[in-house]
Amino acid sequence: MKRLTLVILAICAVIMLAAAVDLPDWADPASPASTHLSPDFLEQGYGETATPNIVTVVLADYRSYDTMFEAVVVFAAALIVLVVLRHTPRKRRKMLQHRPVREGRDTVLRGAAQLIIPVMQIFALYVVGHGHYSPGGGFQGGVIFGASFILLALCYNLKFTIERFREQAVLVCVAGGVLLYAGVGAVCLAMGWNFLGYAGLAGILGVGEVMARSHGILAVEVGVGITVFSVMMSLYYDLASGGDLDEGL
Amino acid sequence: MMIDQAPALIIIFPLFISLVLTLAGSLGPRVAYGLLLCGMAGSLLFSLLALGQVVADNQAIHYRMGDWPPPMGIELVIDHLSGIVLVLVSACALLTAVYSLRTAAEDNPDRLHHYYALFALLVTGLLGMTASGDVFNLYVLLEISALSSYGLLARGRGPAYYATFKYLIVGTIGACFYLLGIGYLYIMTGSLNMLDLAEIISRPELQESVSIKIGFSLMILGVWIKMALFPLHAWLPNAYSKAGITTACLIAPLMTKVSVYIMLRIMFTVFSVDYIFDSIAWSQVVIYLASAAALIGMISALAQRDLRMMLCYIVVAEIGYMTGGAWVANAAGYTGAVYHILADGLMTLCLFMAVGAVIYRTGLTSMAAMQGIFQRMPITAVVLVIGAASIIGIPPTCGFFSKFYLIQGAAQAGAWVFVAALLIASLVAAVMFFKLLEIAFFGDPQALEQEAASGHGHGEHGGQPVVARHEAPLSMLIPMVITAAGLIVLGLYTKEVVEFFIGWSIPAGF
Repeated sequence: MKRLTLVILAICAVIMLAAAVDLPDWADPASPASTHLSPDFLEQGYGETATPNIVTVVLADYRSYDTMFEAVVVFAAALIVLVVLRHTPRKRRKMLQHRPVREGRDTVLRGAAQLIIPVMQIFALYVVGHGHYSPGGGFQGGVIFGASFILLALCYNLKFTIERFREQAVLVCVAGGVLLYAGVGAVCLAMGWNFLGYAGLAGILGVGEVMARSHGILAVEVGVGITVFSVMMSLYYDLASGGDLDEGL
Repeated sequence: MMIDQAPALIIIFPLFISLVLTLAGSLGPRVAYGLLLCGMAGSLLFSLLALGQVVADNQAIHYRMGDWPPPMGIELVIDHLSGIVLVLVSACALLTAVYSLRTAAEDNPDRLHHYYALFALLVTGLLGMTASGDVFNLYVLLEISALSSYGLLARGRGPAYYATFKYLIVGTIGACFYLLGIGYLYIMTGSLNMLDLAEIISRPELQESVSIKIGFSLMILGVWIKMALFPLHAWLPNAYSKAGITTACLIAPLMTKVSVYIMLRIMFTVFSVDYIFDSIAWSQVVIYLASAAALIGMISALAQRDLRMMLCYIVVAEIGYMTGGAWVANAAGYTGAVYHILADGLMTLCLFMAVGAVIYRTGLTSMAAMQGIFQRMPITAVVLVIGAASIIGIPPTCGFFSKFYLIQGAAQAGAWVFVAALLIASLVAAVMFFKLLEIAFFGDPQALEQEAASGHGHGEHGGQPVVARHEAPLSMLIPMVITAAGLIVLGLYTKEVVEFFIGWSIPAGF
């Protein structure tokens, strides 16, 4: 069986090498990928959305429909872990044989956490909000924000974190973030534009169409951020405690 | 305005329902069931509206997401082909949703609303894939439907976790191949929009490009893994046969059919007939793979003792039929393949529902559960017979007409191996279902009652053993009967379906 695997891998490698024969050179400015659509994005992107970061523009406006479903993928991951792992009445065998019980009395850890966590959260909000101008956006900011809560759970304990951020609230955020994203799209649809046509927000926000697109991008980035951070917490809650949400790492 | 927005609403409506269902846990199972029904009915309504407009105007609807013109933005394309597949998917999902009233609640006593949320998410993914006009968007929705199917299948009984884990690994490999293929196409063309890609690939300088050929091969290989074409099918029977009753009814008919639809899209919308059958060296081999799939699938089905295992191998065989139809490279074969997507979606649903009802009432999954079925569950038994007749290919069920087109196409192309495979597979299917009916008629129902240790009494009446009638609940019977009637109606209206829908989608070059 192992030999068969090796043969299949070797065949795949040969195919990949064969496919590389007539690929354009690395970072070739004349390659189709750089000449077909990219110039349009670079030239028109700022004028149409008032957002200088073209990556954000492509991600959250031109291909915003894809990004919405990327957020749904993250949402689905949390939902599946919940459905598979979360404690059910048909009592399953405990998955963790040995569970570390920590009281969270370590002064050095707590002190460090108290110093770091607020800074992390502020920085996360900055990353979300500054996605228009610099690398960043909902996915990155959401990860940093979620990591701050996981740090809290690691330095204190799981119970302490769950008391401050209950599972029900996390779930509301998991679905709420995607709901915000899709809701923005639906509002545009209700205003007579196509789904996710942010120009439809112009009438509500009282700004021009170009500026409305910029605000629309911010709104969906916030939605993505909420989903990503709450999904990280949901996954951590379920995985760290084997689905029981009582005690764990 | 509703009509203009129908293409987006087909997909967005179940998505919203799924999000609301996640939060609606405290409202109780009835509300969750109602919400799910509402979502599926909404999708069906918008699909019908969109299809009606396509037929009325006789041209495809192009819906620009976010008002960006393609190829810069993403567009949804609803034409004759995707229109009927959308209606099929949303109708099957609605029927399964109705059917799920008892079984889903029993399989998921605690998390019914989360189960239903995944259900709606899976349907969102399938509808989104069907309507998409963008190869990368298709990949994203492929991931959504695959992920939610992993979650649903893992809710099954016993060893479902292991089977689902294997499916997860194999499914991810399939998706990776597809994504890798898109990567090659993007490097060589710079576009992701299907129609734009088709225009660029048809240029003479790219006709002989090795990268594009390998990109095409990888995409098709990825889709083959997803649709369980022989010999890449090993994951399917295990994963589907251990699922919960509702899950099996939802996933088994739809996932594989939508994958076949994707294969047709890649072959005939992104690439073209001339390109595939002239430039791709291995395109002649596929017909043999398809013949092998049809034969080996049916013969493996014959060997099974477990009812759903048998149905799963039938699905593998049917995938062979459709693949063969698509690759015989003529109009009749293509018509047969598309018609068979519709027919097979319905007949697989019909059989899985009937078998699900039998399993629900007897608690057994082996063939022994069929004993005395005509006395105990007469309506279910009739539905099962109609489904079986369609699989075998007895007129006037739709299974006959799809096989008729497929054989006609294969004969025109001179693919006698495929003709033989189709005929032998039908014979094997007939043997299999007659064996099943023999158990149903001549098996000893009382032995089963003792085996299942069910409480209801049975006495002697006029010297004949009388078995208590114990029909499936109404929530299961209604969708079953509708599906079985659908098989016959689709068969009777074959000419219209082919003329008004499939005939318009036959690709240029056939």
